[in-house]
Amino acid sequence: MKVGFIGLGAMGRPMALHLQAAGQELHVWARRPASADGLPATVHPTPAALGAACEVVFTVITSSADVEGVALGDNGLIHGMAPGSVLVDCSTIAPDVARRIAGQLAEKGIHMLDAPVSGGEQGAIAATLAIMAGGDAAVLERVRPLLEKLGQRIVHIGPNGAGQVAKACNQMIMVAAIEAVAEAMHLANAAGVDPAKVKQALAGGSAGSRVLDIMGQRMVDRDFSAGIEARLHHKDYGLVLAAARQSGVPVALTASVAQQLNALMALGFGKDDTSSLLRVLEAGRRGV
Amino acid sequence: MKIGFIGLGIMGRPMALNLLKGGHQLSVWARRAESMQPLLDAGASGAASPADVARGQELVISMVADAPDVAEVMRGVASAGTSGLVAVDMSTIAPAAAKAIHAELAAAGVDFVDAPVSGGEVGAIAGTLSIMAGGSDAAFARAQAAFECMGKNIVHVGGPGAGQVTKAANQIVTGMGVLAVAEAMAFASKNGVDRAKVREALLGGFAYSKILENHGQRMLDRNFKPGFKSWMHEKDLNIVMQTAHELGLCLPGSAATAQMFNAMVGSGLGEEDSIAVLKLLENLSGQA
Repeated sequence: MKVGFIGLGAMGRPMALHLQAAGQELHVWARRPASADGLPATVHPTPAALGAACEVVFTVITSSADVEGVALGDNGLIHGMAPGSVLVDCSTIAPDVARRIAGQLAEKGIHMLDAPVSGGEQGAIAATLAIMAGGDAAVLERVRPLLEKLGQRIVHIGPNGAGQVAKACNQMIMVAAIEAVAEAMHLANAAGVDPAKVKQALAGGSAGSRVLDIMGQRMVDRDFSAGIEARLHHKDYGLVLAAARQSGVPVALTASVAQQLNALMALGFGKDDTSSLLRVLEAGRRGV
Repeated sequence: MKIGFIGLGIMGRPMALNLLKGGHQLSVWARRAESMQPLLDAGASGAASPADVARGQELVISMVADAPDVAEVMRGVASAGTSGLVAVDMSTIAPAAAKAIHAELAAAGVDFVDAPVSGGEVGAIAGTLSIMAGGSDAAFARAQAAFECMGKNIVHVGGPGAGQVTKAANQIVTGMGVLAVAEAMAFASKNGVDRAKVREALLGGFAYSKILENHGQRMLDRNFKPGFKSWMHEKDLNIVMQTAHELGLCLPGSAATAQMFNAMVGSGLGEEDSIAVLKLLENLSGQA
């Protein structure tokens, strides 16, 4: 099958290569042509041209505005993709933007799934991503064989936008857990107790979690090199809080964690791993 | 002075009437034609559009709902091509939006002032609003005579956007202030202490504030009629939190307060005064 791919960053590139390795004919468009260097793929001059050549197009892009531009803008996918073809957007964007894009594509008979992923760069490389899909169930079944090359847990959440809601929930839980681990490590340290020992003990009990394992270890090692760039979690928290506001749902903990992420950005840790939330707590203890 | 006025709602109508009372010549425009009638009856002339309202004026003032409305009417005002025009927006919008409008109007030769107000409908009718202005000295000087018809405490805070920054700061203080007084009331009652006596005692000390005095009394009276509707306070706190997100600014108290107001809107208290946050606290603590 001819499969298009847009967004060849840390996540997108290994995902595109998995599809190609599985025997798909890979087509790409890249805003910076250099990002397509060395890929076994046909390079197209515009998203529209890519869309015209492919049955299924994947996008993995950072912001709502960028996804909207690539899908609906001048030379966007909507001007090339044929009726019956499918856009699978694996980016993390606002649920209402996902619905709007899906609605406009549907007017031209183009299908869309919002299919954000969780698992990070490691999950993308290992093809073990969790994929949460919103859109028509039959469309998901059509592209499921492709998604199975990218991840292990593929769940149909509901109609368009539902995948992005699930991703927002994922980010709420994960980043709040990182903050909880950071505060525990910080407390241990401030009380003169070895954080490594605390982490080791906790891992066996009710507080055990993947975040404690992975992010806790980074905090113990003081290895704050990304990982997941914290600025992306900061961006996602903006989306989560906007969605909570639209629904009139109070999210006290999320709002509080968002302030720690704001501080993280101000302290210049945006391109480091989110385990840097520990360093925000340490900055708060230094005084002036 | 020849003044154009756009937006004749709860706030705009009394403000425009006070300009007429101050002897200014007024041309008015409002989205809903029937809102114009009270002003026409009082001697203003009616215009057909924002562009029409700006023709031949020295000053144009807008008082509308939200940033997109301000941008739209100001685009119309600029299209009139009135030379040397000063345009003043007195709505509450994000500082970033005000700066963008300022830049757009400057390119069209219109000198823009952001001048949001505090004091509510009561202050608008009495002509005692607080006015906090951002813009050039020359533009502020042009608008000053008009400001003096509508308000008492008139401060030129700084350049473009400075008025909106000040208003956002005002909403931080009033939002947290109302919540603080409500929490003190709930605290007193849950301890079996007469909240009216607590308020009376506190008024004499360092906890004295206008909010404790006025909003506190309305809490005792359980008079939840607006005043200032809680959905509007929620909107303003969202401007605060959006700005904090964009700047990398840690505002934990505002974040918690914004979530309480989010809960008020979600639970149907949006049309009540912001002191209805007391009801929410009572519900959460089994005091209902």
